Amino acid sequence: MMPKHCFLGLLLMFLTSTTEMQPAHVSLKLQKVQFQSRNFHNILHWQPGSSLTSNGSIYFVQYKMYGQRQWKDKIDCWGTTALFCDLTNETLDPYQPYYGRVMMSCAGSHSAWTMTPRFTPWWETKLGPLAVTITRVNASLRALLRPPELPNRYQIGKNTSMENYYDLVYRVFIINNLLEKEQKAYEGTQRAIEIEGLTPHSRYCVVADMYLPMLDRRSPRSQERCVRIP
Amino acid sequence: MAVLQKSMSFSLMGTWAASCLLLIALWAQEADALPINSQCKLEASNFQQPYIVNRTFMLAKEASLADNNTDVRLIGEKLFRGVNAKDQCYLMKQVLNFTLEDVLLPQSDRFQPYMQEVVPFMTKLSNQLSPCHISGDDQHIQKNVRRLKETVKKLGESGEIKAIGELDLLFMSLRNACV
Repeated sequence: MMPKHCFLGLLLMFLTSTTEMQPAHVSLKLQKVQFQSRNFHNILHWQPGSSLTSNGSIYFVQYKMYGQRQWKDKIDCWGTTALFCDLTNETLDPYQPYYGRVMMSCAGSHSAWTMTPRFTPWWETKLGPLAVTITRVNASLRALLRPPELPNRYQIGKNTSMENYYDLVYRVFIINNLLEKEQKAYEGTQRAIEIEGLTPHSRYCVVADMYLPMLDRRSPRSQERCVRIP
Repeated sequence: MAVLQKSMSFSLMGTWAASCLLLIALWAQEADALPINSQCKLEASNFQQPYIVNRTFMLAKEASLADNNTDVRLIGEKLFRGVNAKDQCYLMKQVLNFTLEDVLLPQSDRFQPYMQEVVPFMTKLSNQLSPCHISGDDQHIQKNVRRLKETVKKLGESGEIKAIGELDLLFMSLRNACV
């Protein structure tokens, strides 16, 4: 059974290609083949060149580290119909540059490989947000910051964490709802923070983020957590 | 009694002599190591300025987009093969100087505005490493550096582009080896 849309797409391309070479070539080529990386989870994404070829197409994914000769097949994404492929386990060293590439196959014919730009997780991954839990202890606040989880391999052996890859600092902000003013209550490397000197009978909200001084980057903020001081 | 006393003082003497020998040995070892490693060093603060870190990585990114040769890598595991950790800063000094003189200067009108900001930074690191030497045989180090240089020369202009595309790796390797 030939997938219908895919076949129509190819037919159209064939017809246009007899009169004009360029459009057929352009539409078969995959678009936006790139890594999207969050907390070192590295997902390869792509788009079909033309919506006509999106239905019924299957995709093949390969990857390698920069400098290696051989491309390796990603078995889980070998003939996938999805438009993404999780290459986290194939790109585990955050300091190494990697490449991925994708080929489309449709009704028996296939496209050329389209390659990602060089991808270095350490530089390109987006960190955060933190998860924050707060508890009230008498008139002070205790905030616990939990950084996002890293892919499995990072946690084997030593308790490897974000701190091993970046000289990051945690920042905690408090907002007093009476004053409607935000202030930085903490900046440092601790994950358990106590905030004292709060005004009684008011509500406080806490948000936190991570800051990477070396790259001058900050993570998105955590969800706001609020508590009332009696 | 006299015999006992004698043997005791003898063993004391022995301990003293042994400690002296140990101290001398330690001192000699340190004296040997000091002139090499203390000079091959870069301040951590060099690598903590976000503006220039970002510029260096952006320049590398830009150039790497123009580098289609994914099989050949200049700064990688091969470059460090057989080189002790303590000699790696010296190795990177050679790579840095080559990159400055034979790659960045000839290509200095390209990849603007990043290039005009990154070149002075790299020059500064190179100046800081100018007293860095190693005593003794550096043939195996020179061999690895020579291989890198030959690869760049063989690839011609695209070799120079490749080297610029690896400035992020150069930056990180200098940081790892010299800080």
